[in-house]
Amino acid sequence: MSRQRRRGRFRGSPHFRLRTGFVLIAIVLSVFSARLVQLQGIDPRAYAQMAADEGTVDVVLPATRGDILDRNGVPLADSVDGLMVVADPFMTAERAPEIATYLSKRLGVDYFDTLERLRIEDSRFQYLARQVPATLAKEVVADADDLGYEGISTRRDPVRAYPARDVAANLVGFLGTPRKNGAARALAGLEDTFNGYLAGTDGEARYEVGAGNRIPLGDNTVTEAVNGADLTTTIDRDLQWYAQRLLRQTVLGARGDSGHAVIMDSRTGELLTVADYPTYDASEPYETPAGEGLYKSAALTDVYEPGSVEKVLTLSSLIDAGKVTSRTRFRVPGSLERQNRTINDYWEHGLLNLTLAGIVAKSSNIGTVLAADEFGRGELRDYLTRFGLGQRTDIGVGGETKGLLPQGALWTDQTEDRIAFGQGLSVNAVQMAAAVNTIANGGVRIDPSLVKGSAVTGAGTEVGSDHATRKRVISEDAARQTARMMERVIDPEAGVAPGAAVPGYRVAGKTGTAQRVGPEGGYDGTFTVSFAGFAPADDPRFTIYVVVHNPRNGGGGGSVAGPAFSKLMSYTLRRYGVPPTDTRPSRLPVEW
Amino acid sequence: MSSTAPQLRSRLPRLAEAAVERARLTVVPRRRTRAPRVPFVTLVSTLLLGGVVGLLLFNTSMQQASFAATALEEQATNLSAREQTLRMDLERLRDPQRVAEAAKRQGLVIPAAPAFLDLDTGKVTGNVAPATAAGDTKITAPPPGRPAELDPEPVRLEPRRNGGADEKKQKQHPGSSDQRDGQRDGQRRR
Repeated sequence: MSRQRRRGRFRGSPHFRLRTGFVLIAIVLSVFSARLVQLQGIDPRAYAQMAADEGTVDVVLPATRGDILDRNGVPLADSVDGLMVVADPFMTAERAPEIATYLSKRLGVDYFDTLERLRIEDSRFQYLARQVPATLAKEVVADADDLGYEGISTRRDPVRAYPARDVAANLVGFLGTPRKNGAARALAGLEDTFNGYLAGTDGEARYEVGAGNRIPLGDNTVTEAVNGADLTTTIDRDLQWYAQRLLRQTVLGARGDSGHAVIMDSRTGELLTVADYPTYDASEPYETPAGEGLYKSAALTDVYEPGSVEKVLTLSSLIDAGKVTSRTRFRVPGSLERQNRTINDYWEHGLLNLTLAGIVAKSSNIGTVLAADEFGRGELRDYLTRFGLGQRTDIGVGGETKGLLPQGALWTDQTEDRIAFGQGLSVNAVQMAAAVNTIANGGVRIDPSLVKGSAVTGAGTEVGSDHATRKRVISEDAARQTARMMERVIDPEAGVAPGAAVPGYRVAGKTGTAQRVGPEGGYDGTFTVSFAGFAPADDPRFTIYVVVHNPRNGGGGGSVAGPAFSKLMSYTLRRYGVPPTDTRPSRLPVEW
Repeated sequence: MSSTAPQLRSRLPRLAEAAVERARLTVVPRRRTRAPRVPFVTLVSTLLLGGVVGLLLFNTSMQQASFAATALEEQATNLSAREQTLRMDLERLRDPQRVAEAAKRQGLVIPAAPAFLDLDTGKVTGNVAPATAAGDTKITAPPPGRPAELDPEPVRLEPRRNGGADEKKQKQHPGSSDQRDGQRDGQRRR
């Protein structure tokens, strides 16, 4: 009874109960407030960040890289969504053989290599396959999940495709394996020069997710990606393809080292084709045996001496200066002594009575030197500079050479004699094509262009056909007379290159056979043969320049490059539907 | 007006004092009308409930839309990837090399020179000649040549001049031996 009372007294004492309650509450509250101080007082931001991160997703919205297109909008390089397939060896090691078998079947990866990667210890990230088309990669990973293979996932890895493979690879260049964050790694060509222009800017999205879905009213910020701009070139892909095949056949047929073929629209200066041989396959750049040395546009980066093709520049300048006409008569001896060096022609002859047209048609060095004697000091150099020699064409290809036009003290009388017929100066193929095109275009030089419209290079300069300037170099009459003289080169009787004729058309052209400078400096006894010309001669539409370095079959410009020129020209004329002009060909006298 | 009341009271006879006392006006407490509570409570609870349920439904539908959006986005990504893959296949098929090889297999050749037929006048310009495969351009790469290792210089043995006593010890031509050494060096360097 008394015990019960005592208990009752305890229970019944409101003061005691209250006090105990308060103490308990106080204890709990102090624990809470201590935690509160810990959370809010000491480094509250880190906790806030952790809370936000828990449900927030940051996504990079990838910008699509712009395509490189040909003049008709056909892609030379285009971007495709791709994924990389990666493994977490920690999870895959156990069933590695099965997974490797599965992946080698589905993705065509090497079994042993994959097996090794799936088993690497202390790693949680291994590449299994890169740049797999997105559809295939997703399918493979989904099927792997169904089969119960764990630890395989995909990540973004854009694919750059070069559908025409080696066609225009010398110009377009290629992208290497993307960086880890998916950014492009431009390694050569236009891809490299215009990397910034093509790349665009990645966007960013930040939003909260719950169970994989976006929370409708949660935090949500999106910065849209700015896609890269397309780069439209002036190249005609199909024509470029044909030119590359023909050039390969020509170079191999002549057992030469290398070659270039340039096709230019005479009226606009747009380059329809810039072909190099040898070249590489842009879709498999590392598979080409010769490798890295080929990752360039040799027609722009390599220099050589143009040889007799340059004579048309010398002689048209002479006509423009009013010193001679196409009918001026010259007595051309068998050899010419100049400053204790002898100048010869490529064929043995006695004293010849040639007109200026004859000098062009027969490609006489001696005749050219005699004619060029009419020039005052420095005049020839001025003309050649205005033809664009010794200056970059700046069409947007990296590593272009300026060529070499001697100046100052190096420009001696002896040099001038040699330069008059195309030795002792160096050019690149596009430069030379643009110079010859000046004659085709009635004496007005147009800057060659490779980019249609306008685009900004990595160096910040704007290039393209919109920026091509026109400048008169020689009078229209001088250009016309030169074109008529050049027609005689093709003539089966008067000229040296009947093989360059295009049946049914009037063609003007000039052969070139130049001594080559060897690796040690000085001529090494090998040659560069070339042919430059345009058609139709009286209303030129296309200028074509074919160059073959070091042919070993003993051929010259007329026999090696001439037939290639003819095929290329007839293909181009047909492709663009240019009918023959149906006028009488040039009958300029070559002898007197 | 209030000043008239005491006058009135004083004029009245005292007789009826009790009655007057009884009849004195007093302020009565205002009568309160008790409106029925039920409709109001119903209204409020309906509003509340409706609001809550509405919000819930709204939220649910938004979630639903979000699910749908995620699914559709996924589908859009897949479809655009598929489209790109197909476009890539198409580009591969349009590769000029492939088309040219296919054309060549069917016996097509590249004509030598163009000719034009004017449809109005029927006049033919240009060089009219049948296209032949004779001067056709080779469009395929030549097969790779045999590597030098597989094509060694032949070993030349020179018969001994002084009527060989022991023919097995034939001397090699010094030139060819040098050449082979050079070749071996080349291989080593490689």
